[in-house]
Amino acid sequence: MQRHGSRDGEKRFGGLLVALILGLAACAPNATPSPSSSGVASAGPAASGASGPSASVAPSAVAPSSASLKVGWSSEPDTLNPLTTYSTEAEEVLQLVYDKLLDYGVDLSVEPGLAASNEYSADGLAITYHLQPNAKWSDGQAVTSADVKYTFEAIHKDSLGQYAQWLVDLVGVDTPDPQTAVVKFTKPQAFNPGLTIPILPAHIWSSKDAKAIGAFTNPTPVGSGPYRFVEWKKGESLTLKRSDTFWGPPPIAGQVIYVLYANEDVEAQALKNGDVDILTEVPPTIWDGLNGADNVKAVSLPSFSFHHIGFNLSTAAGSKGNPLLKDKTIRQALSNAVDRNQLVQLALAGHGKPGDSIIPIGLTDWHWAPTGDQVMDANPDKAKALLDAAGYIDRNGDGVRESPAGKPLEFRLIAIQSTSVDVRAAQLFRDAAAAVGIKLDLTTLDENTLGNTVYNKDTPDWDIFVWGWDSGVADPDYMLGVPLCSQIGGNNDVFYCDKTYDALYAKQASTVDVAARKAITDQMQQKYYEDAAYIVMWYQDKLQAYRTDTWGGWTEVEGGLVFNFTRDNYLRVFPLK
Amino acid sequence: MFRIGYLARKLAIGALTLLAVATFNFILFRVLPGNPIQLQARAGNLSAEAVARLRELYGLDQPITTQYLIYLRDVFTGQFGTSITFQRPVADILAERLLNTLILLAAATILVVLLGIGLGIVAAARRGSRVDSATVVAALVFWSLPTFWTGLILVFVFGVYLHMLPVSGVSTPGLGLTSPIASFVDLVRHLILPTITLALVDIGQFVLITRSSLVDVLTEDYILTAKAKGLSRRQVVLRHGVRNALLPVVTTTALYVGLTIGGAIQVETVFSWPGMGRLMYDAVLRRDYPILEASFFIFAVVVVVANLVSDLLYQVLDPRVREA
Repeated sequence: MQRHGSRDGEKRFGGLLVALILGLAACAPNATPSPSSSGVASAGPAASGASGPSASVAPSAVAPSSASLKVGWSSEPDTLNPLTTYSTEAEEVLQLVYDKLLDYGVDLSVEPGLAASNEYSADGLAITYHLQPNAKWSDGQAVTSADVKYTFEAIHKDSLGQYAQWLVDLVGVDTPDPQTAVVKFTKPQAFNPGLTIPILPAHIWSSKDAKAIGAFTNPTPVGSGPYRFVEWKKGESLTLKRSDTFWGPPPIAGQVIYVLYANEDVEAQALKNGDVDILTEVPPTIWDGLNGADNVKAVSLPSFSFHHIGFNLSTAAGSKGNPLLKDKTIRQALSNAVDRNQLVQLALAGHGKPGDSIIPIGLTDWHWAPTGDQVMDANPDKAKALLDAAGYIDRNGDGVRESPAGKPLEFRLIAIQSTSVDVRAAQLFRDAAAAVGIKLDLTTLDENTLGNTVYNKDTPDWDIFVWGWDSGVADPDYMLGVPLCSQIGGNNDVFYCDKTYDALYAKQASTVDVAARKAITDQMQQKYYEDAAYIVMWYQDKLQAYRTDTWGGWTEVEGGLVFNFTRDNYLRVFPLK
Repeated sequence: MFRIGYLARKLAIGALTLLAVATFNFILFRVLPGNPIQLQARAGNLSAEAVARLRELYGLDQPITTQYLIYLRDVFTGQFGTSITFQRPVADILAERLLNTLILLAAATILVVLLGIGLGIVAAARRGSRVDSATVVAALVFWSLPTFWTGLILVFVFGVYLHMLPVSGVSTPGLGLTSPIASFVDLVRHLILPTITLALVDIGQFVLITRSSLVDVLTEDYILTAKAKGLSRRQVVLRHGVRNALLPVVTTTALYVGLTIGGAIQVETVFSWPGMGRLMYDAVLRRDYPILEASFFIFAVVVVVANLVSDLLYQVLDPRVREA
């Protein structure tokens, strides 16, 4: 759920929410390790008495090792306070230090986390979580339902951090016994918040008020997860070590060390050199160089992100956007004019898939795709026909069409300077528009300036932008929530507002039945696609690379080996030497 | 040896400059488009309440004049507020980063100044010789090397192919060094390549300035007099020549220190050296006002102090300045 510019710091997105929501053991994910994790024996469920889906957390056949897994990254956490962080890097580290009630397995299916099992009440208004009986905080205290109660209620009460959005409907948490937490909501929750919220130790956090939490850097996090925080040399490296009190099977790697590289070429050399074992993100040009290097494997995996073209639809009195763009015909003509496959090939060097809906293809179960006549793509003739029919014709022979009132179809286009793929895409888009008689003037800005320009709800002074979205949750809710009227002034970057769409959104958010919900979300995606407030250009691949001679057992999964919303790759890899 | 009035005047001018710089910094970053909370709020999909709390935490809810006064107080108490990106006191962050930059800078400056002056003297003393031509050409070539490129070449040669030296950071992660000696050796190993890079690309200017200044001086009448007195060539060059030729070199050194403390960003980027340059670059992109204001202020202090020191050194080196 993060805006991104030059780097695609993708967050975790979820796939199979289905099994969990229905609480059906029959839908439980397959516990068999994938073929690439050869040598990894399957392990039983993380804890005894688990009634939820079982999944292998770590291979029992491989003994814990003292070796360090070294991860190269190019950006470091902002803070280690989970309630104030906005960085993917912090979430990556914190997901090893803290536990969530539920987790995603290495195949992105739902598996037990701090809660060994959970079930929905018959009316869907309550979720009961049964905690792992032997869970302990790293300071030795037991993890109890009081910690769950504190975490959920504190986040809800003071609207703390990015997790607050998942607890808007929270009523409260009951704790009938230390192992059981009953979380109650005002309406059924299509998305189970246990999948995203880290549980914090009440004995450390509950004495702080919202202001104190806002200023708290959490320098030595106390968590219940598989790793413990050791040290963070700022600007250099961050070290975690295996926890000896983790409730599940111990992870194999004795330490996980994140090493910061300020330069991507050097980072790639460090991988070739064996200074690090895996890179969290590799730019396309460097990826090609790493692909085929000795003992290095470069992977290109589907991700959960997209880049898009957005139109200023603001109806604010102070809007300085070109009012012609409020005509859907012009937007649809542009959507028809642009060749998404060309964008992928030329701007992304082929590392992605052409885009359509605002739900990325990584969310296989939720993605809707246009078919037949619905498709708007690489069809300049149709674009011209649409414009002709609506009376937008070139009246003065300058190659640019004019509206019936004589206004030229000329718009400003902005993109982020440092995001080279976006700049390239914007240039291609400009050419495609010119070919159908629409003139675009491209300006590039830094990300913060672009953000400030776009998100100016009272006086937006722009016409069209190129930008991208990452989504951080395992559910279509987040992305579908962006174009809501209520998000104008919030995440709604194009000021789209449609009552029908809003009504559908509200309906899907509390529709727990998956098939019924899917019917609604499909309808929403189709509507937003047809309204063409966004032109989703592509779903880019996640490019990573790892050494094949140091650690084995990596599972290639959509979203990435690491920096995905499953932590299982960390827990499963084993040293080869 | 310095007159009190002169010193007081210099100090007063320095203090005024710093106040002006501090004010300018404050205005500059607030005039820039963009604001630090916005991208954070969007990334986290924060509620209005949470955004208000953030603004309060960083004092952005205060009127601009109040912000300015708080800022001035922070600057002159050396506190600098809290970083919006790292959510830690700016003073702590700067302390870590400045230390790293100073280590790199000290090593590079010593190398550059001593070697540069030495080579410049050798070239000037043998003006017109092959040694002279070779030195001048080499100085020009190195001076025109792009820092980034030079660093990468060193990385590939010494880091990747020869496996001799570490290419990133200030210490080896996960080595678990316990003894101070081992830590120091590790630091020195990490320091070698960035220092050599800085030295290679910066040494040229010192060689050329020393050489041309000394060549000028060596044509003066008093040099002829010194020679006529029967002084040895060494005495003529070193005692009568170099001392007079050093004035421009002192100025250059002062400027160099002032520039590199903020300008080592390329070397810091290639070698992932956690210093001030990278900190500032990131802070600009994230509109981290407190970090930017503090860093720019510190650079201003360094430049003002370096200039003050060079003024005072002039007094030592050149009696004419003392009389003025």
